[in-house]
Amino acid sequence: MAQTISMPLNRVEGDLEVKVTVHKGIVTEAQVIGTMFRGVETMLTGRGALDGLVITPRVCGICSISHLLAAAMALENMAGSSVSVNSRLVRNLALSTEKLQSDLRHLFLMFTADLAKKKYQDQALYPEAAQRYQPYRGSAVVATILATRKLPQIIAILGGQWPHSAFIVPGGVTSRPTQADLRQCGMLLGEFRRWYEQSILGCSIEEVMAIGTCDQFNDWLEKKEAHYNSELGFFLRCGRAFGLDSLGAGPDAYLTAPDRIRYQKPETAGGGFLQDGVLTPFDQQAIIEQVKHARYHERICTGHPLVAETHPVEQPADSKYSWCKAPRYAGSPAETGPLAEALIEGDSLCTDLVASQGASALTRELARLLRPARILLNMEKWLERIDTSKTFYRPTALPDDGTGVGLIQAPRGMLGHWVQLSGGYIDHYQIITPTTWNASPRDDRDVPGPIEQALLGTPVENPEDPVEVGHVVRSFDPCMVCSVHAVSKNGLSLGRLRIGT
Amino acid sequence: MLTALWMQCGACGGDTMSLLGMESPHLPALLDELQVELLWHPSLSNGSPAYYQNLISDLRRGRRPLDLLLVEGFVSTGPEGSGAFDTFKGEAKADILTELAARAGVVLAVGTCASFGGIGKLSEIDAVGLQFHHQQPGGLLGRQFRSTRGWPVINIPGCPVHPTVLKDVLYAACEETAPPLNAFQAPEDWFGVLVHQGCTRNEYHEYRVEDDDFGGPGCMFFHLGCRGPLTYSPCNKILWNNRNSKTNAGTPCFGCTHPDFPQEHPFFHTPSIIDIPLELPDGVDRAHYLAYKGMAAAAAPERLVKRTSKV
Repeated sequence: MAQTISMPLNRVEGDLEVKVTVHKGIVTEAQVIGTMFRGVETMLTGRGALDGLVITPRVCGICSISHLLAAAMALENMAGSSVSVNSRLVRNLALSTEKLQSDLRHLFLMFTADLAKKKYQDQALYPEAAQRYQPYRGSAVVATILATRKLPQIIAILGGQWPHSAFIVPGGVTSRPTQADLRQCGMLLGEFRRWYEQSILGCSIEEVMAIGTCDQFNDWLEKKEAHYNSELGFFLRCGRAFGLDSLGAGPDAYLTAPDRIRYQKPETAGGGFLQDGVLTPFDQQAIIEQVKHARYHERICTGHPLVAETHPVEQPADSKYSWCKAPRYAGSPAETGPLAEALIEGDSLCTDLVASQGASALTRELARLLRPARILLNMEKWLERIDTSKTFYRPTALPDDGTGVGLIQAPRGMLGHWVQLSGGYIDHYQIITPTTWNASPRDDRDVPGPIEQALLGTPVENPEDPVEVGHVVRSFDPCMVCSVHAVSKNGLSLGRLRIGT
Repeated sequence: MLTALWMQCGACGGDTMSLLGMESPHLPALLDELQVELLWHPSLSNGSPAYYQNLISDLRRGRRPLDLLLVEGFVSTGPEGSGAFDTFKGEAKADILTELAARAGVVLAVGTCASFGGIGKLSEIDAVGLQFHHQQPGGLLGRQFRSTRGWPVINIPGCPVHPTVLKDVLYAACEETAPPLNAFQAPEDWFGVLVHQGCTRNEYHEYRVEDDDFGGPGCMFFHLGCRGPLTYSPCNKILWNNRNSKTNAGTPCFGCTHPDFPQEHPFFHTPSIIDIPLELPDGVDRAHYLAYKGMAAAAAPERLVKRTSKV
């Protein structure tokens, strides 16, 4: 008999509830429910033109630089202005630092904690998994806390503090780093790289970047003890032994926004959409938000983010189950994040992993664990290219009225800010976060969102503690604090809310 | 062994980043040193949903002792005082928190949202802090609230909270006597200094060399909306991430530790009258300030006027 499990999920940023129907131990239906809102977009209406720079980073304490950058770029897009090379490099460095800490913290503070659970106690690798991944105490946990605590000093040097700075402004950055500042950043980066190579990879970045296929990955694993026992080596072994490679396939449609961290294909630097193996360049006009299953008025809340509004219906039907809208690209749900980045940019190892075994919770996490390698190489180059004799800021006048869009690749994937100014004040603000894509509800054609699709077929051993469901959902690294739309007072009073933790 | 519980309400997770950013000792070492068992942290614990539900139920009924209650994020009390905007298993989190606070040895409001309501004021969900609603005492728990140790809520404002301040207050909370608190129940030792104190742009401020656009080394108080001279916080005394501060990096202070944060008027802009800010540095008389600033500008050395002194 089918059983429905409602599962509030922690160790995602914010509140998320997953409702799965389990039949004969297998998930046959899934709903991902955004349960919490703080009303960020409404907060901005009527405020000063630059206020998005201060308010939107406070949407998310983990991605504060990402929101800040998207907010500034939306205003620059409106002004039709460009920024200096120096300020672009500084912004890239700050955003990339945020990605580095996020990738590692997600892996070893949020994802692997489940591998230390009793469910796996009969596995041969369990004692070591517990020793590495136990909350607060595990060796990988403590090492990650130490390394990621120090890394944001780079953002502090360049922009004052992390999180919640506001040093990125239309026209550039407010700071003027000196050569001494940049050397300090280089030292911090070097220290982080050494840790990443020694502890996470067990080899040099160059060595791991040379791995192009699954077979080569297996060879690498067995080649040296340092590889086998590194965090990457152990996670790979543990993930396979615990079956993470057969969980959470996803929609086979991937999306990235314009990105500065270039991989092998410069033509995809502008972002891309990869569906059933066909890659097309990203075009933000192809984004539509749909609300048949979200608690908003369909007539006025459907459409491109620049026109779609966010008004809740007064008495939502049961079929309207989430406060997340359903964004669709060219009509399709799309997965975004490090795996999408790797596949669209043509990373050969990730492409081969997905080609041979399909997308899974394991491939998603491996893409995230390997992303720092590319990021670090780029950061070293950017640091060298900054010329302190040149400007970091160009005065930029904003029009009183206008519209703009800022799109970037945040740690969790595509992030978009759409802003409209009227008389020098914010008239309309829409944010689509990576998690809105991944954790979206069903759309107007009843097609489930990426996580909902990935959950289908997931085996559930113990309905009291459906660890497998947690693996699948967390492999998308959901950040619910910023993915739920704003709603007004009237709508709130009529919605029924369930909060996770 | 002391027990601690971290509750998230309307939060962005920024204060959790501060928890992870603590050093000497870092979080795992601090738990060891203070002999604290962190029963639950929403971002870090790996207990099952059932474990968490039982834990909350035991703590509310006093079946397990709760020494430290740490709250991150504002508390939603709407609509009409029901708290239904933010619930756990169908119950208002505001009600759960009220019961937990009554059982707790010490209650810490971590960050500006939990202290005063913070960012929640912009959202129409009747957000309050634990014992304040912006400047107004009361908040969720009421003016008379005392935890079982007889202490009021200790507020640790900041958006986010400063890791060092959080760490220190955690240490203080494990001692017998409460640290001295200011009028907003924040530790006087940390919130008795202004952001302005220690700002590397101080000399520019002193001689009224003011910037009206980003990217310069000058003071940002007169035109760019800096609230450093009005905001009590140790940002420039102990710096952020051991390195820097917003004002040092050319970004104005937004007054994020103040009970009224976020302000109503636009950021990056100073409302002024005849080129002098409407709001003057804390406690300063306007007539004297006008005279002083006029003379200061006249006395400014070339290296400041030409903005060649580095910050």
